[in-house]
Formats: sequence, structure tokens, C-alpha cells
Amino acid sequence: MKETLVEGGPEAPARRGPPKSDGGAESARRRKKLVTLTRPWLLLAPSLLVLAGLLLWPLIQVGKLSMQDYEVKFGGGVGTFTGFDHYTDLLSSSLLWKTVLPNTVFFAIACVGLTVALGTLVALLLNRLGAFWRLICSIAILAAWAMPAVTGTYVWIWLFQPQDGMVSQIAGSLGLIDPETTNWFTERGPFYAIATLNVIHHGFPFVAITVLAGLMTIPKELYEAGELDGANAWQRFWNITVPTIKPVFLVVTILSTIWDFKVFTQIYLQPGGDGSNEDVYNLGVFSYIQAFAKNDYGTGAAAAVLLTVLLLLITVVYIRTLFRQGEEDL
Amino acid sequence: MSIRRTTLASRVGLPVAVAALLVFTLFPVYWMISTALDPKASLRGSDVLPSGISFEHFTYVFDKGNFGTYLLNSALVGLATIVAAGLLSLFAAIAVARFKFRFRTSVLIMILIVQMVPLEALVIPLFIQMRDYDMLNSLLGLSVVYIALSLPFAIWTLRGFVATVPKEVEEAAYIDGASWPRMFWSVLLPLVAPGLVATSIFAFITAWNEFVFAYTFMKGSDKYTAAVGIYQFFGENSTAWGPVMASSTLVTLPVMIFFVVIHRKLGSGLAAGAVKG
Repeated sequence: MKETLVEGGPEAPARRGPPKSDGGAESARRRKKLVTLTRPWLLLAPSLLVLAGLLLWPLIQVGKLSMQDYEVKFGGGVGTFTGFDHYTDLLSSSLLWKTVLPNTVFFAIACVGLTVALGTLVALLLNRLGAFWRLICSIAILAAWAMPAVTGTYVWIWLFQPQDGMVSQIAGSLGLIDPETTNWFTERGPFYAIATLNVIHHGFPFVAITVLAGLMTIPKELYEAGELDGANAWQRFWNITVPTIKPVFLVVTILSTIWDFKVFTQIYLQPGGDGSNEDVYNLGVFSYIQAFAKNDYGTGAAAAVLLTVLLLLITVVYIRTLFRQGEEDL
Repeated sequence: MSIRRTTLASRVGLPVAVAALLVFTLFPVYWMISTALDPKASLRGSDVLPSGISFEHFTYVFDKGNFGTYLLNSALVGLATIVAAGLLSLFAAIAVARFKFRFRTSVLIMILIVQMVPLEALVIPLFIQMRDYDMLNSLLGLSVVYIALSLPFAIWTLRGFVATVPKEVEEAAYIDGASWPRMFWSVLLPLVAPGLVATSIFAFITAWNEFVFAYTFMKGSDKYTAAVGIYQFFGENSTAWGPVMASSTLVTLPVMIFFVVIHRKLGSGLAAGAVKG
């Protein structure tokens, strides 16, 4: 899993070759040195090629596209250089500042906070259960985790469907809403509340299972000592659990942040999320709609670059955290 | 005093918490499956039990919705991704975990960074590239994208597994006169096998669940993957919820079975990563 990163990673030792034979042959030693030098690169080459060709190169291309007006012509596309026009347009549009960025940022903050809080609570719960109930709950958590984003989203839409969805009907029968006229998906607040529920349902299992793995490494004696000192449950959690497995919390928080900033499928599939309702744009959807629905690849690319820069900033924090917590470097 | 309070809290609090957890995690799954089985799916409203049990929505998605082809497409793409990503990431993981070489740290950081790149940033240039090379609508083209997407994560995970294989085991093999390929095959591979299983499953799930690329690249309807195939039953105004939920069930169940079967390995894999934290 990604939290393998929690490990500082033992310093990989230079592999020791077979015991020296005679040590006399100079050429043999030189050949061995060449093998030692090239072998790691030969092993890495296929992966690096794939990553460079399919992740890095397109990333450079998207930067280039963001400074062009790209037009699809017969047999390919033609780009006209426009400098930073797309960026100035984007950064001066009120849609970005009033809708797109707030949607992206507040949604990510809500999802991360709630996912980590719920995941931690569930981990603490699992840690207190006996073997049988822990297994039952773990399987239920796995079921939530295993539900693909696409199908999970359809289920939440169905539950909140105007008129005939279960939640709409129950809320209607309680007199909270008029199910004939209420559409949860047309306004930003309810739209994103449903998306948040969806993302939490899908995302908290990862946090719960990772934090549980961390909890199980904490020696029981620490809690016994805490209890003897008269610490209550909250104090024991805050003064023993949190500091001991702080690295685990850091990693799950940063990973969730990265994931929740780039939520796309869950937004795009909700009614109105595919671009027909501007109020519910987030940065990813906005970029996609500009490029593929409006054929404005340049603006779409500029928005994509903006999202990438945001995520890179978070990644820098992530990498620094990893470096700081490893005893040695990577 | 404090002990009695704890027992009281656990007697009432724990079962309530467990019940709440089970409802929150399983209700959407239950709702999906029971709607798929309900012949009057779209009229369910707040009825917790289905009005009857029938497989008509399942036969509908296969007969009218071509869903068998989509499931097969997804399986093919997933299989290609497992094999290629597993092999490539194992080589790379051995390189970064076992050898010391210049730019090792830079390579690791680069791998970490490309993992953070948002799909929406890649989908535009990749779409243009694929179109220019006539690779749209190609299962192979889609597989290559998924291989790239699963690699960074797979390399990082396997790196941890390779690093935990004690060096002494390898050295003992050398002293016994084993060559490097032989050592790889009969010493290293069996020891990292659990890690390889875990990364393969995650690579498969990445490919199986992915929506954005499949939706953008695959426009000829017989080339859809299953995750995109559901979309055809989904209408803005009138959605056929029975077929939507039946096809959703077909996409979800294999992953769930996978997760439950490997849950012990999953737990130990996660623990192996997190223990040191």
C-alpha cells in the first residue's frame, strides 16, 4: 500500500557479489564493475520508459497546450502559441474564484477531515472488538472499500434521487421536504454533501485499516501506565495514541488530501455534474468540460496545470514529511 | 468507579457503534443488490425489502446492453495490466531496494511525484496523442495507460517487500554458488510473492474501476469497459434503475470477492507498510 512509505526504508545496501574468486584478473573486475553500474538501470529502464512516456511526457504536453489555442484539423491538431492568455483569463474569471476553487477546496477539506476522523474512530472501535466481531466489521469495511467509485456513485444518486429515491421519500413522509419539487442535486450545498458522503464511504476504510495497523504496534503497557496516572479515555488517546502513531496520521491525511483534491468521477456522474450545472464545477470537472465539451483544450489544459500545481505543493509537504520521519533517507 | 463506567459504556456503546458501522458500510451495497433483484426497481421508494426477486434486470443487461462484452473487455485490460505492471514494478523495486546507485533517490522522488499527477491533467494530452496515433478505441492503448497508472504505487509497495527480505538469505544462496537469475527465481521471488499478489490485485482493481480514461478514449460502444458500460443505462430524466443497479452489481461483486478472499494478506500488507511508522 501507499503507507509503505511510512517506512523510512532501510538503506539499500550495495549488493555484495559472490565471494571474490582470485581477485587477480583486472578485466574481470572491470566487467563486474560495469555490471554493477548498469544492472539497476537495466532493471529500472522498462518502468521509467513507461512512466516517462505516459505520465511525464503528457504532463509536459499539457503545459505546452495551456499556452496554445489548439484546433482539431483534419489529420491532427494545430496549436497557435498564445502565451499566458489562458492563465490570465482563467485567473481573472469570477467562475474560478466564486465557484470552481471554493468547491474544490472546501469539498477536499470536508472529505479529508471527515474521512480521517471516521477512519480513526472505526480503527479505535476495531481495536476494542473481539476476534469475531472484528472480522465481521473488517469485511463490512472491505465491502465499502471495494465498491468502485462509479457504482458507489450510482447507488448514492439512486438513494437521493428526486421523487422516488429512498431518502427523498423518507424526508417527504417526515414532512421535511416536498419530494415532488425537491431536487438535491441542483444546488451546490446538497450536491456536495451527497458527494462527500460518497467519498467518505469509499475512503474511510483505507484510513481505518492503516490506523488499526498502527494501533496494534502500540504497547499495552503505555495505556496501563496512563490509566494508573488517572488519564481518561480522551487523554489517553490524545497523549499516548496520537503521538505514538503520528507518522501514520500524517501519511493518511496527506494521501487523503491528494486524493480528495482530484475527485472527478463522483462529481461528474452526479446529475448536473457533467457540466450542465456550472454551480457544481470543481477544478477537475471544469478542466475536462472545457477541453472535451467546449473543445477549448487550451483553457482546459491551463486548469489542469493549476490543479497539478496545487497537488505538487501538497506532494512537497508529503515528501518532506517522509524524509523527516525516516531515520535515514529514502 | 472508572472500571464500572468503562464496562457500562462498552455494554451499550460498542454494540451501537458496531451496528452503526455495519449499516453505514453495508446499506449502499444492500440497496444496490436488492434494487438489481427487484422487478419493480424504479418504483422502490422507501421500501426496504424488494417487491420480489427476479433476475430480469441481469438478463436485460446481457441481452440488450451488451454487458458481457464490456465485462470481457474489462477483464482483458485488467489482466494485461496485472502481468505488465507486476513484472515491471518487480524489476524496478529490486533495483531501488537492492542496489545503491547514483540518482537512486531522485528516481524514487520522481516516481512519487508522477503518482500525484491528476488524471484530468493527463487525459487531455493523452487523448490527443492517442487520436494522432490512431489508438483511440484500442484495448491495448487503454491497458498501457493503466500500466503506467499502477506502476508508481506498485513500485513503492514492492520496494518495501523486497527490502524486508534479509540480505543474509541472498548471501547464503551466493555462497552455495547460485547465480543471480537463479537466486532471483528460487530465493527472492517466493519471498516477495505476497507483495506481488497484493500489487497485482491493486493493479487489477485500478484497471477494473477506472472511469475517466475509458469513458474518454473508448467511444465505439463495443469497446466500453464495464465501468463505462453502466453509463448507457443512466438517463438524466428517466433512469432505468434496475439495469443500472444490476450492471453495478456485476462490476462490484468481483472486487468484493477479491477483497474478502485476500483480506488477511491485505491486512498484513498494510501492516508491513505501517508498522515502522
